[in-house]
Amino acid sequence: MGQQVVREGQYLAVFNSTHRVLKAEGLLKSSGLAIMLIPAPRAVQADCGLAIRFDEEQHDTVMQLLSEQNLLPAFLCQLRNDTYITIREYQHENH
Amino acid sequence: MKTIDCRGQACPVPVIATKKALEESGTGIRVLVDDGAPRENVVRFVKNRGYLVNETAEADGWSLLVTGSTTAEEAAQSNVTASASGDRVLLVTSDRLGDGPEELGYLLMKNFIFTLLETPQQPDRILFLNSGVLLATEGAETVEALKQLEERGVELLACGVCLDYFKKKDQLAVGQVTNMFSTAEHLLAAALVIKL
Repeated sequence: MGQQVVREGQYLAVFNSTHRVLKAEGLLKSSGLAIMLIPAPRAVQADCGLAIRFDEEQHDTVMQLLSEQNLLPAFLCQLRNDTYITIREYQHENH
Repeated sequence: MKTIDCRGQACPVPVIATKKALEESGTGIRVLVDDGAPRENVVRFVKNRGYLVNETAEADGWSLLVTGSTTAEEAAQSNVTASASGDRVLLVTSDRLGDGPEELGYLLMKNFIFTLLETPQQPDRILFLNSGVLLATEGAETVEALKQLEERGVELLACGVCLDYFKKKDQLAVGQVTNMFSTAEHLLAAALVIKL
């Protein structure tokens, strides 16, 4: 395969609520971050199947903003050696 | 056997040239390509359509011998069946998918286009009309996925009248401008049209 939607090293913040992921997308974009809302790949399928894709170097900024606004995802994973590794799951009521 | 020389040409040119050559010859062709993305994209494209490909390394690039598939079963599993009787066409008439909240419609359309990159079968052609053309213009998030589809041999055609209406004629970021004659011809010649 040539290019992929998610590149090696990129993160996916996977959400299970459509409203929540749209809020998070708006927050990050209005902060000037080049993130992208994409359908979650089959390998990381979630309830609503939406994920915010971002680069490795954006990790700290993105996660801090989401945390501050109480918009953390259901879980965070990263593409390493062509496999999605779950970095962390977040326990809260509305993902 | 016809030989096409795509060495030195960047994607999606090799895939489009291969597609045209196969449509014209119907039997087999030889394609000369550079290593890397052009080779990968052409090989994937012809395999997706059920052709057999024999790759040989040359001094300056690769020679791909593309021939018809051997068994009926293989052909049935591939896009060849659809291609033989006409193309599979997606007609995109809006930048949103379905009726309902705008925000949700945009999201669904973007999701659909990105998901096409993961489906085993892809359309031969996508026709963009009305606000659908915006999906292929500069700044649209869908451009990234559409470029990848184009590299895989999906032909993207955007309505010129519509681009002009939105004052985006010089901002088409992927695909080509088309007119209503060719749009109508493609729709009438298609084996399958899916309207979004």
